[in-house]
Amino acid sequence: MRNISIIASVAAFLLLGTVAVTAHAYLDRAEPRVGNAVRTAPRELTLWFTQNLEPAFSTVAVTDESGQRVDAGKPSVSGSVMRVPLRATRPGTYRVMWHVLSVDTHTTEGNFSFRVGE
Amino acid sequence: MPTRMVRAALAGLAIAIVPLANANAHCFVGGRFFPAMLATDDPCVADEMSSPTVQWNSANPNGREHDVGGDFAKRITENFGITVSSTWTRVRPPADSGTVGPSAYGFQNLVTTAQFQVLKDAPSELALLAGAIFSWGNSGAAGVGAVPWSTITPTFYFGKGFGGLPDSAGFMRAFAVTGQVGYEIPTTSFDLVSGNPVPQNLVWGTSLQFSMPYLRSSVIDLGLPDFINHLIPIVEGQFAAPVANKSGIDFVITGTVNPGVIWVGNYFQVGVEAIVPVNRASGTSIGAIAQLHLYLDDMFPRGIGRPLLGNAAPPMLPFGNASTPGRPPFGN
Repeated sequence: MRNISIIASVAAFLLLGTVAVTAHAYLDRAEPRVGNAVRTAPRELTLWFTQNLEPAFSTVAVTDESGQRVDAGKPSVSGSVMRVPLRATRPGTYRVMWHVLSVDTHTTEGNFSFRVGE
Repeated sequence: MPTRMVRAALAGLAIAIVPLANANAHCFVGGRFFPAMLATDDPCVADEMSSPTVQWNSANPNGREHDVGGDFAKRITENFGITVSSTWTRVRPPADSGTVGPSAYGFQNLVTTAQFQVLKDAPSELALLAGAIFSWGNSGAAGVGAVPWSTITPTFYFGKGFGGLPDSAGFMRAFAVTGQVGYEIPTTSFDLVSGNPVPQNLVWGTSLQFSMPYLRSSVIDLGLPDFINHLIPIVEGQFAAPVANKSGIDFVITGTVNPGVIWVGNYFQVGVEAIVPVNRASGTSIGAIAQLHLYLDDMFPRGIGRPLLGNAAPPMLPFGNASTPGRPPFGN
């Protein structure tokens, strides 16, 4: 009986205050794909994350080889997907820097590059 | 068995057991995730639980050893945390030893660890951690090797990802290294039972890891199967050497090299490694270790998975959108 009480207490402690089960939002995939090349300049960058995001605290920046921003407008967030329009028109390497807040308040960030043209 | 070999084997046993009690953190540094490791510790404080960790090793001079351990790590504040660890051990005498006797079993000494996060630098993927490991003497069973004296081991930990290398480095950017070095100080200098001095030991460990999740999210998406993209192949090494109060004790470095792999999910990870002794004093055959590790901060973000005191750092935007620029992008 004592063991059952201990197990029940630990379970209650673990669950105390738990509202939802979520986790760090990690980049699952992107389009254009991470580290890959596309023939023509994409009009939009799409990022898929492993968890739902808080739109107000999730953002992305895309820069060209000279460091100029080429993302055009505010990124849109729907669930775990973030999209931002691009005005990249020239061949070259573009760097994507993202910073997101998952709905459970964990922040994560990262960066990657993709190429336009061969 | 000569006394000298027993001492060396006990040192090997100590390093085989202590790491069980210290694999404990969920560690994001920028785009880099350092998984909780099985033999050494990662460089972050977090709310985590390893249960169980099971191990088979040959470091015990009295026979083949089986361990089942668990540890629970809790942040007190955002940057300070404690870990409580316990390991149950069974030692079975080898069949060819001529020893006819029952297996010995019982708990190892209780271990608690206090750690402070010194640095987490996202752009350089660098994390630094300082801590102290307390092993409480007389809290375990002498029959399985638990010693009657306590030890304190001030320890420094680091982790460094190579994601900051130029793009031309390619796959190399998915590598990371971690390490820890500590100085083990016993609360006694002489073992009255065996009549031997109790040495102070330098203990250190390191890991080299290749992150498939990082490769996919930050270097190149190769379109590999999802299971592969969750793997982190890893090689860990853990070592110890007596450096003071070692009169009559040969200077023998004991340790193991552990190749293995960790599968990383959103809420837990599973790891398995081989345990390869570096010399005879460290063990006589290859062992194995496996661990289920739970990310309590992700499973219960509004309950036990957050610091007891204070609030987490408020979220912020590192840069605005293109039409309303905020702070400059990373690296500027």
